[in-house]
Amino acid sequence: MLTTIQRLLWSGLVCCCLALAGCDTVFDVHPYDVHIRGEKNLNAKGVAAIEAATLGKDTLRLAFISDSHRNYNELRDMVADINRRDSIDFVVHGGDVTDYGTTREYEWARDNLARLRKPYVVLLGNHDCLGTGNAAYESIFGQPDFSFIAGRVKFVCLNTNAIEYDYSRPVPNFDFMEQEVTARGDEFDRTVVCMHAAPYSEQFNNNVAKVFNYYVMRFPQPLFCLYGHGHHTEQHDIYGNGLIYYEVGNAQKRKYYIFTITPNGYSYEIVEV
Amino acid sequence: MRSLRYRLLASLAACLVAVGSASAQDTWHRGDDSLVYVARDTMADARKGITVEGGVSRYDKRMHYYRKGWASLIPTQHVLQFCGNMGLFSIGIGWEYGRHKQWETQLLMGFVPKYDSDYAKITMTLKQNFIPWSMYIDRGWSFEPLQCGLYFNTVFGHDFWVKQPVKYSGGYYPFSTRIRPNIFVGQRVTKMVPHSRRKYIKSLSFFYELSANEIGVMKFGYNGRAKFWDVFGLSLGLKAQLL
Repeated sequence: MLTTIQRLLWSGLVCCCLALAGCDTVFDVHPYDVHIRGEKNLNAKGVAAIEAATLGKDTLRLAFISDSHRNYNELRDMVADINRRDSIDFVVHGGDVTDYGTTREYEWARDNLARLRKPYVVLLGNHDCLGTGNAAYESIFGQPDFSFIAGRVKFVCLNTNAIEYDYSRPVPNFDFMEQEVTARGDEFDRTVVCMHAAPYSEQFNNNVAKVFNYYVMRFPQPLFCLYGHGHHTEQHDIYGNGLIYYEVGNAQKRKYYIFTITPNGYSYEIVEV
Repeated sequence: MRSLRYRLLASLAACLVAVGSASAQDTWHRGDDSLVYVARDTMADARKGITVEGGVSRYDKRMHYYRKGWASLIPTQHVLQFCGNMGLFSIGIGWEYGRHKQWETQLLMGFVPKYDSDYAKITMTLKQNFIPWSMYIDRGWSFEPLQCGLYFNTVFGHDFWVKQPVKYSGGYYPFSTRIRPNIFVGQRVTKMVPHSRRKYIKSLSFFYELSANEIGVMKFGYNGRAKFWDVFGLSLGLKAQLL
């Protein structure tokens, strides 16, 4: 009799363990388990919110941050600073929300970004690809190539971390870019291209750097390009054709951009937090 | 050369005299168990005295120690552990050693379900336990107030590397995505199975552990703050002592 009770007790305990492991942050299955607890598919929600908030607006203000990595304090400070500015319409994070691409880091970054009171999207960085990071990104944020239209400006967000993919998927994806040139063509007149790693960085597939420029220049009125990865706040005319690539520093440097796009052009300021 | 050979022979002779003078039981019964190998497939109980026809040859003695050596590698415990950054559950084998059996080494294989990733994963863990105290309570129950140590976990799959692949410039990713160190502290209770009821298991222990790896420690280290469960993870387990 006693053994039956003991057996029941033990098996009950084992079942409890399994049940707890299924639903709680107390138990860690594995750093790369891609066992996402909480919100998923955030970029689709962000895109919908951005498009709704900027519909019919002719002046846009966006904040561009990037490379927050392990610097959650700095990320929180920047989020708080962005929240204080009512004029900002939406936020773009240029990628590298993690160091190791582990699931837990993704959740920490997501939960810190959730403090933003503006709609936002997050690009895929090279660190975010490590291990099962790309799967975690797709689960939490969505496809790494995506676009949205704010006001009448199309934002094309691209995965440019070519070296992380070893030709297993097209990076940069020219088919996607080609589609985006004409997709929803009557809803936008100008274009901003966002990416994590710029052409001629060591992550980029530099064999097609000029082809990339060819595709970028096919978009209706490319305004400027945004990127991170280099951890410095710099501006470069990479191809010498007048299209400026704006690099934002990592979160640790506590700097981010605010771009204001008006019907006549655009301006930017560098904010120090 | 001759003197060396003489010295070797002399020391061998001294050894033989020493062995011969000790009782058969002392000579044979050096380990914990009293069973000794007296022939290729024959064992005898040293406590009852060894009587082998024609005496025990040097070959038999050597084979005894040879077998005894390999027999010491037989795992003495089986382990089942839930979570702890080594898989949803892991099963493994282990050995204990030391004067008070306060050291344990375990080798576990873990299973990570697919969840939202592309494939389910298998992991392997090498774990070193230190259990400094054991308190006997009553009726075969005992309590180990501290078990601590470290383990290294490796995950199998083409997405993970020990060292960054050559395609990256030197030192770009100065860490491993495959092997991860963890430290842990925990406690456990043990129930001895009485001799009369013993079938396969000598004692059964239930333990819990709080473990941390460098990802959570890094979060705390760089930001000066982190939630308790961001740094630590709880894992539960069972240990069946067989030998």
